[in-house]
Amino acid sequence: MNETEKAIENFFDKEWSDGLPVVPPTEERLAAMLAATPRDPDELIGDVPPLLAPATVRAIALHAVMAGCKPAYLPVLIGAIECVLEERFNLLLLQATTSAGAPFVLVNGPYAAEIGLHGGVGCFGPGFRANATIGRALRLMMMNLGGGIPGITALSGFGGPWRYTYCVAENEAESPWPSYSSAHGFGPGENVVTAIPLEGPVLVWDDASEKPERLAVAIADMMSAIGGGNIYRQADMAVVLSPQHAQVFADAGLSRDAVHRLLIERAGRRLGEIRRGGIWRGASGAARWPFKVDLDDDGAFVPAVGNARDLHLIVAGGSGSPSSLVMHGITVASRAVSRAYST
Amino acid sequence: MSEGSGLIDPSASSGARAIAAAPRPASLAGKVVALLDNTKEQGDIILETIGVALRERYGAARVILRRKEHYSKPATDALIDEMAKEAQVAVAALGG
Repeated sequence: MNETEKAIENFFDKEWSDGLPVVPPTEERLAAMLAATPRDPDELIGDVPPLLAPATVRAIALHAVMAGCKPAYLPVLIGAIECVLEERFNLLLLQATTSAGAPFVLVNGPYAAEIGLHGGVGCFGPGFRANATIGRALRLMMMNLGGGIPGITALSGFGGPWRYTYCVAENEAESPWPSYSSAHGFGPGENVVTAIPLEGPVLVWDDASEKPERLAVAIADMMSAIGGGNIYRQADMAVVLSPQHAQVFADAGLSRDAVHRLLIERAGRRLGEIRRGGIWRGASGAARWPFKVDLDDDGAFVPAVGNARDLHLIVAGGSGSPSSLVMHGITVASRAVSRAYST
Repeated sequence: MSEGSGLIDPSASSGARAIAAAPRPASLAGKVVALLDNTKEQGDIILETIGVALRERYGAARVILRRKEHYSKPATDALIDEMAKEAQVAVAALGG
């Protein structure tokens, strides 16, 4: 074995890898990565739970090297880790959860396109270096700094491919609407990174519906799936519309806000249906809902998203694909965080 | 933090704060024990039962029961401080 092969094997042996080979982090590679940011290498962004090792700018750059990031990706990665280390994101939950949740990273603004962070056809991968390596670097930090080792502190029963990397740009170029970040109060030219605690994506295929009323049926049904759990827990949730699905709504004159409202209005089930099984826990569970439902009325409508801010509506993926994705949330104890980041 | 062959150790061991475990008492006799309910279903019932056993079988002087805001959130510093002031031993509910 040559030195590089030995180094790669060494990182496997020490369990400093996600199961794929890492780029061996040498001082030279680290210095080249750190040159991409004006920030002090010793600046502490925060401690990564549960082990609470410090995510300094240097430690972040080190993991960016290991994950295969180009130096130009570093500002996005620093922004992403700043999001997940905010208290309301509660990264500890995503580390320890027995579900299969992960931090989903959405990037808006011109810098994403500049570095090739992809929001178009096939953006959830494989095949796009920025998407693959920025998300991977975040996961490597959760493992190496946070100690999120599967079976020890990371107790997800299944894990999942989105736990290797879960990072896309919004497809602003092909979206009929203003961006996700501008809908959340950021300026149109601002570079914004958002982390949302989500389960893996489920595909909603609909190449038949040409009217909003019809298209909303399948998407809303998946949003309120009994097994998805959102309807019981009222966690955050994301719907990623392909440009083609978004266009069906836009062609009928619906704005982003109008689609957001439509999906919230349609996604739900009758109380009698959700109390037949799922994680129905009677009045004690219902007491946590952010709305009131008459628990004696089996015909009462229970929304899958009680607070409008909990639904994250995103446009991504390839034009020409009549499909959308629904990603359910985990619990109310972990919430999305958006931040502008500097390049 | 160099890891031989010019490579850098990326792991927590290179910078994590070491937090020493609190000393464990040899006996609970005469001690105040705090039980932390994680809010999961029926956790309170299990903890109350444990509380009775700690008093009757192990001689704990008193048992106090506190509740977290949500099972997926850490207990707040204020709650931990309050428990630490009153109790010498704490037991946290896990899972459910």
